[in-house]
Amino acid sequence: MNTPTSAPEAGGVLGQLDRAMRPVEDLANLLAALAIFTLMVLGSAQILFRTVFNSPIAGYIDLVELSMASMAFLGAAYCQRMGAHIRMEILIGRFKGRTLWGAEIIGTLLALFIIGVLIYHGWGHFMRAYELGDSTIDAEYPVWPSKLLVPIAFAIWWVRLFVQLLGSIRLFHDPSLEPVGIARIQTVAEQAKDEMDHALGEDAEGGK
Amino acid sequence: MILGIGFDDPLLVGLIGLGFLFFMIFIGVRVVFAAALVGLFGLVELLGWGPAAGIIGTIPHSKSSTYALSVLPMFIFIGFLAFHAGMTQQLFDAARKWVGWVPGGLAVSTVFATAGFAAVSGASTATAAVFSRVAIPEMLKYGYDKKLAAGVVAAGGTLATLIPPSAILVIYAIIVEESVAELLLAGFLPGAVSALVYAGIIIVWALYRPADAPPVTGYTWGDRARSLPGISPILVVVVIIMSAIYNGWATPTEAGALGALVVFLLALLRGTKLHTIKDALMEAAKLTAMIFSLIWGVLIFVRFLGFSGLPEAFTNWILSLEASPMVIMICILIAYSILGMFMDAIGMLLLTLPVVYPAVMALGFDSIWFGIIVVKMAEVCLITPPIGLNCFVVNGVRPDIPLGKIFRGIALFFIADVITIALLLAFPEIVTWLPELMRANG
Repeated sequence: MNTPTSAPEAGGVLGQLDRAMRPVEDLANLLAALAIFTLMVLGSAQILFRTVFNSPIAGYIDLVELSMASMAFLGAAYCQRMGAHIRMEILIGRFKGRTLWGAEIIGTLLALFIIGVLIYHGWGHFMRAYELGDSTIDAEYPVWPSKLLVPIAFAIWWVRLFVQLLGSIRLFHDPSLEPVGIARIQTVAEQAKDEMDHALGEDAEGGK
Repeated sequence: MILGIGFDDPLLVGLIGLGFLFFMIFIGVRVVFAAALVGLFGLVELLGWGPAAGIIGTIPHSKSSTYALSVLPMFIFIGFLAFHAGMTQQLFDAARKWVGWVPGGLAVSTVFATAGFAAVSGASTATAAVFSRVAIPEMLKYGYDKKLAAGVVAAGGTLATLIPPSAILVIYAIIVEESVAELLLAGFLPGAVSALVYAGIIIVWALYRPADAPPVTGYTWGDRARSLPGISPILVVVVIIMSAIYNGWATPTEAGALGALVVFLLALLRGTKLHTIKDALMEAAKLTAMIFSLIWGVLIFVRFLGFSGLPEAFTNWILSLEASPMVIMICILIAYSILGMFMDAIGMLLLTLPVVYPAVMALGFDSIWFGIIVVKMAEVCLITPPIGLNCFVVNGVRPDIPLGKIFRGIALFFIADVITIALLLAFPEIVTWLPELMRANG
């Protein structure tokens, strides 16, 4: 786990791009969150309709499968900003200065490449479904809106990775600068503190 | 990379790919990117660019859009909601009223309270954090040894991953194409056994050193009965999830949805603010995105592995050793415990299972049993040095208890875990009994 670091008032094009992307990522993650909430209601309703009224919701499984894309992909960029996509930090966590930023640049370039390939071919996957008018087997819902979420969500993710690449290059150039647009690696102790603040902060609010 | 050089042997390409994958992960490339990248280049080497890119372009969507995986966001959401609903204090109070009278009573109560909380949460570290605040002050007040107080909380947190709802067991089921319901059901008894072994070892220790872990007495049966309504929501969630899975009156997703709804309504009832619930949803969405990325990323890599024939070759090699299956199993478990010291449990399982699992099956082990064993192993790593995240969490909440002391306190529970794993090795029925009963009834 890492924490996103960017001084809110950080100027420059990078700072602006970083701040411009945040609401987009927040909104995408919020949509994923709403999809999760909707699935909770839908799943419970399905039990109710099937067992009490003996009439299950038509096309329920198709609906759930199509909605999975929103939960699976829309939060990816937000997750990237928070540095929550897992990695092994045993080595990179010990790096400092140029070594660290050099390693981050390599990792981010690899990420930009593979996500770029997936955007391109994910778009092709969507176009085929759109042009053929592909639909689900049971309820015959169109499949393309769900497939379209892959290139959209990954494009947002790609931009976030690009921001992080610029942020790393900037710090590689001059490690003494204030970090902008990157996710800082935490030590195990910091990670633990985050978990703790999180769990306890909410426990204190919710319970007594 | 290796493009164009034209290795004839797919197996060699597979091995090189595996080597590159571990190298990239070691230097800190995020697992999803490393796995997808190696998968892409491996497939390009074996099939050419066009077919390879075409295949991987479809994997994220097709592998994520399955009904079986839809249970994950539900379980994750239940876990985040459970913290907001603030049931930890009631659980601990109820546990001490029921079992506080045994030697080491408060520590034993902590074990049962964390086990109870595990029934609404799959998050080990968060469970340890919350109970550090609820249980440690009480134990210290009664003169409990600091090492024991800190150790029991850190260890108790690990119960969350075996007792349903457990996200990691769902992921195992998906990767090895087993029944999600059977794995969830299978985790219940081993989770309970882990808790009982923890409790047992505390009692034995407390009998030797009664001053360090005194019992708490003086509760009437009336007190005990009155402690139950406070924890009833947890009982409801347990009954919903376990009975739905066992009797099949709802799918795991539906049971998870209903469980989440119960905890959600309870949170509202207890006056949890809407923005707090929004935070829980945002956190759940973030974690869901992380886990799904990992799943499709690794599945791209797995597609390449399949073409390379590496899993079959590994299986044949293991079989050619002609060692006793149990010896090989113990070697595999030791390898996992070393790997688990450096890697997140979910990532470790996803990356290793595609190669290790077919070999384990060829040796004649039960797939559900193996799932429970590796997940238990991964959990042990959460309390052992050098990472031992749970211990750091406890230290974070209680900076007055030094880390060294917490790791010493863990020793007792590490022994307990070794006993549990030995029990599961010796009596696989602990794992397989419930799923088999379910199959017999279904």
